Amino acid sequence: MHPQRNSNLIDSIPPDKLGPHKMQPGRARHFLRQALLAALFGVACVSPVMAAPLLPAIIEPASQEHHVGKLIFVELVTPDLASAKRFYAGLFGWTFRDIQAGRTEYAEASLDGRSVAGLIHRDVPAGEHRQPAWLSFIAVSDVDAAKTIALQHGAKVLFEPHSIPDRGREAVFADPQGAVFAVLASSSGDPPDVLAEPGEWIWSSLITTDPDTDAAFYQALFDYEVYELPSDDGAEHIMLASGNYARASANPLPANRPNVHPHWLNFVHVEDAVKMAEKVVALGGRVLVEPRIDRDGGKIAVVADPLGAPFGLLEWPDTESKEVAK
Amino acid sequence: MNTLFVRWSATVLVLGLFTILSSGCVVPGDGYGYDNGASIGIGVGYYEPYGAYYGGWEPGYRAGPIYGHNYRSAPGGRPIQHAYKPASRSGPVPSIPARRHNDNVQQRHSQ
Repeated sequence: MHPQRNSNLIDSIPPDKLGPHKMQPGRARHFLRQALLAALFGVACVSPVMAAPLLPAIIEPASQEHHVGKLIFVELVTPDLASAKRFYAGLFGWTFRDIQAGRTEYAEASLDGRSVAGLIHRDVPAGEHRQPAWLSFIAVSDVDAAKTIALQHGAKVLFEPHSIPDRGREAVFADPQGAVFAVLASSSGDPPDVLAEPGEWIWSSLITTDPDTDAAFYQALFDYEVYELPSDDGAEHIMLASGNYARASANPLPANRPNVHPHWLNFVHVEDAVKMAEKVVALGGRVLVEPRIDRDGGKIAVVADPLGAPFGLLEWPDTESKEVAK
Repeated sequence: MNTLFVRWSATVLVLGLFTILSSGCVVPGDGYGYDNGASIGIGVGYYEPYGAYYGGWEPGYRAGPIYGHNYRSAPGGRPIQHAYKPASRSGPVPSIPARRHNDNVQQRHSQ
């Protein structure tokens, strides 16, 4: 202990008043006042944080279902939250609940009381030429274990595993080809394996430079069953399945778009792809791939919202059970 | 007033405040770590690099799901080496769920 420090503290106290463990009452009150002021400042700073609402759980009421490899949530980052909300409300009938999480404006999108997406406002980083995107969250049981496997198989971690109260634990990776996706271990369980209602997410496609290699990566990560599908264009098209359900397709980048970077594309279930594509345009969006017949009577289109975030529309015929017997 | 008590109280208060402020203002202060994403240019608030052009899907380009048919490649050809482990050759390719939300609710209630 430095002797000078102690003498500075007490040098104004008369020696005859100085006991071994006593402080002058005025100085003690000053000390306490300072401490109380600091405490009040701390409370004032922290209280907005403590009062900030939590991000919603993935499913309410919570369930015990877990479906590793399933797309269980999507989040859109956009520079114009109000415009995005108008667009998706007009297109799909989504309703929104605004959540102020610190300085971040977040809107929870719901359809018929079921959470369907999260929308985040964030300005495009200054000087960067970027576009809004929907980020896919795929279910895992252990985010940290997923990170280890992802790194072992050539992925990059873009957002370290972190926990969110009520939601679970998540992380964001770029796969070996560069497609960005998130993994989420939902603390409330995963949504049930049911047919998506119109306006809900129904399908995901990975569009990548090397579907074969990427399929191996995602198989290691999510334990997918991998099926090669015959194709009419001579390219390799792959189906990824888990829990005896198809979860996503892996497709090559279109041959005439060699400079497009690999990405995930999520599809919303619609009753009429043609009409919905027209509605997209009427609401200020764009059609990127015109509605077209896909496999087995399905019809797909790729569109973008007014801010440029791409997503797919999938018209899926309502038929009897397509579940494959186990 | 007991000097040691005052000093201990002040020290505890300062340390406590430092802990609260450093954690409260950095991690949850911007919505559960969104700033972490911003600091590395990507994250939960994620922007695509510009240039995700679409289009150019030739007529045979199929990206959607199937109905659980036996969609396997015709047998007899030369086995193809894949980076992935192909699913077993028996049985059809799975499709997407067909059960409806209401079916699920009814099933839960009946259990």
